[in-house]
Amino acid sequence: MNISPIINFFLQEGVPLETVILILMLPIIATFIAFLRQVVGIKAFGIYTPLIVTFAFLATNGLKYGIAVFISVILTGMLMRFALRPFRLLYLPRVAIMLTAVAILILGVLVVGGGMKRTGLASVSIFPILIMITIVEKFITVQIEKGDRMAIILALETLGISIVGYFIASSNFLIQFLAHYPWAILATIPINIVLGKWTGLRLTEYWRFKEVIKNM
Amino acid sequence: MLSYFKKSRKLLGMNSRNLEYIRPLNLKSAKRIADDKLLSKRILKKAGLPIPALIAKIRTSEELESFDWNALPDSFALKPNRGFGGEGIVVVYGKRKGTENIWIKADRSSVSVEDLKNHIRNILFGSFSLSSTPDIAFFEERIKLSKIFKPYSYKGMPDVRIIVYNGVPVMAMLRLATQTSGGKANLHLGGIGCGIDMATGTTTTAILGHQKPKIIEYLPETRLVLSGIKIPYWKQTLEMAVKAQKASSLGFLGADIALDRDRGPVFLELNARPGLAIQVANLAGLKRRLERVSELKIKTVEKGVRVGMDLFGGEIEEELEGISGKKVIGTVEKVKLIGKDGKEVEVEARIDTGAGISAIDKNLARDLGYGDAVQLWEDFHLDRVLSEEEIKALSENKTWKELEKHPDVIGVAKTFSSHGATYRIEIRLTLIVDKQEISSKLSIANRDGLAYPLLVGRRDLKRFLIDVNKVQPI
Repeated sequence: MNISPIINFFLQEGVPLETVILILMLPIIATFIAFLRQVVGIKAFGIYTPLIVTFAFLATNGLKYGIAVFISVILTGMLMRFALRPFRLLYLPRVAIMLTAVAILILGVLVVGGGMKRTGLASVSIFPILIMITIVEKFITVQIEKGDRMAIILALETLGISIVGYFIASSNFLIQFLAHYPWAILATIPINIVLGKWTGLRLTEYWRFKEVIKNM
Repeated sequence: MLSYFKKSRKLLGMNSRNLEYIRPLNLKSAKRIADDKLLSKRILKKAGLPIPALIAKIRTSEELESFDWNALPDSFALKPNRGFGGEGIVVVYGKRKGTENIWIKADRSSVSVEDLKNHIRNILFGSFSLSSTPDIAFFEERIKLSKIFKPYSYKGMPDVRIIVYNGVPVMAMLRLATQTSGGKANLHLGGIGCGIDMATGTTTTAILGHQKPKIIEYLPETRLVLSGIKIPYWKQTLEMAVKAQKASSLGFLGADIALDRDRGPVFLELNARPGLAIQVANLAGLKRRLERVSELKIKTVEKGVRVGMDLFGGEIEEELEGISGKKVIGTVEKVKLIGKDGKEVEVEARIDTGAGISAIDKNLARDLGYGDAVQLWEDFHLDRVLSEEEIKALSENKTWKELEKHPDVIGVAKTFSSHGATYRIEIRLTLIVDKQEISSKLSIANRDGLAYPLLVGRRDLKRFLIDVNKVQPI
């Protein structure tokens, strides 16, 4: 692999190449998410959640386990909301109970995975799992603010973005490109300035306002 | 394709709304007012606008524990101060009879003091507030549903959203609560939005939902047409919205105004980030309207309202009416009938230029006080399709003489069509079509199974032009 001098320097100082590349990916994925929001109109749970879910996917062994954990977390969050509704609890205790349920579920999934000789699942490091568990809080907040339907749509959008983000960040071409031209990440700044000044309709809005345009 | 993009430039999208309107026009200090309901109340009140009266507020859990529940009236609304999107609001309509401090909600479920306390604890904690910060709970006077909106509203208060920009009301929408929206009139919860003609305050198109709004004609599960609802005190409502902009200094304002049965229009809420679905409800682009008024210098409230009404009202029909001196109506119109003893009923009527005489359903005639005449007619077994021989027999027997003995029956009409013949009695009553009073001779028929209980024929349509494209009555 062609490695730029500055990255060589990092490596000599003891920073693993994988870490350097992951950090360089951060602005690229962030810009990608900003583009999806401003130009395409995919909202997801803000910028932070899809970003860290992408990285959680990268850190789990293979995409399928990441997706499995994500979906189980969201499903539990949803079920627990209905289960806890009659108790009318205050917000934090309610979230705490949900996290308990999610924790038990994940543990169960790992054990079942182990039993089925899916060792890949059990050997997933704990941090990506923890990251995904925290999505529950985001999900609940959106459920309260915008309703169940919207929360599910946004969760699916987050999942979609994270999956695409995963493929971008694990593409060999991009990894080699960043190793060779790490300064390229600075190009995301002017791109984001343009995105930040973009006042045109989002692609999804053409669809949303279809009837209006037809009737003009 | 090119024209598609050209047209789409008239629309206001999220990016443009945030960057070009909310950011520069709704400054932080102004947004603070909008996001704080108690503060908005104070400012609106100072500006002389009618608001729901504040009953009490609870700021801390100590205040909650020492709160005097007996001081609450029978009906009230409990709201979080920084709530948004209608979340966390509890409305009670009265106390349950024979109980102490148990209230009834719109869905007939009970609310005890303990329930309220729990809810208020959640509010204080910040469960319903923007960014989940601790909040204040307050009680305010409940707005009473106006008669006009009663049939259209599912257990909730309809309100009018008006977008005000540069001192001009540019677009408006009537919001109705539905079963799915749980009695809340917010579109993103599944409510209905009806576009409004700015000049007349009459509803035009209607949409259901928010993210991908669906155009609907009728109120779901009913035969109530959503267009043609005339909003009372329209000009006054617009004036209130413009005044609120001056008072709040929100340059791009969404004003929410409800109609109280006794007090008339009452200001509900200021909104610093009005949604974009209003464009679908009106089938019109907001951006184009904003651009049209951005250059204007509007000095007074009256001027702003006049400009809004003139620029964004249905001009074409007015023009046509000006030339012909006749009103333009559609093929289905709301018609008010004035029966005996001043009894009034409003129905939707089929405007039919193929018919000579107007016809009214027998049950509707009964409701209007012509029960005796209908009974007499039914006693002769005439409320059905007859054969030509039967009609001939009736004429020979001079049945009409018998029928006309009744004081309400002013004549008898025979009709012949491909379906068969009918033998009808005629009554006299007054119709009001588009504010025009018509003294009409109506034939009573059995219109069971037909979509409209009233058919208005040529004889009563002399003062109108019929526009077949105009599905919505205005």
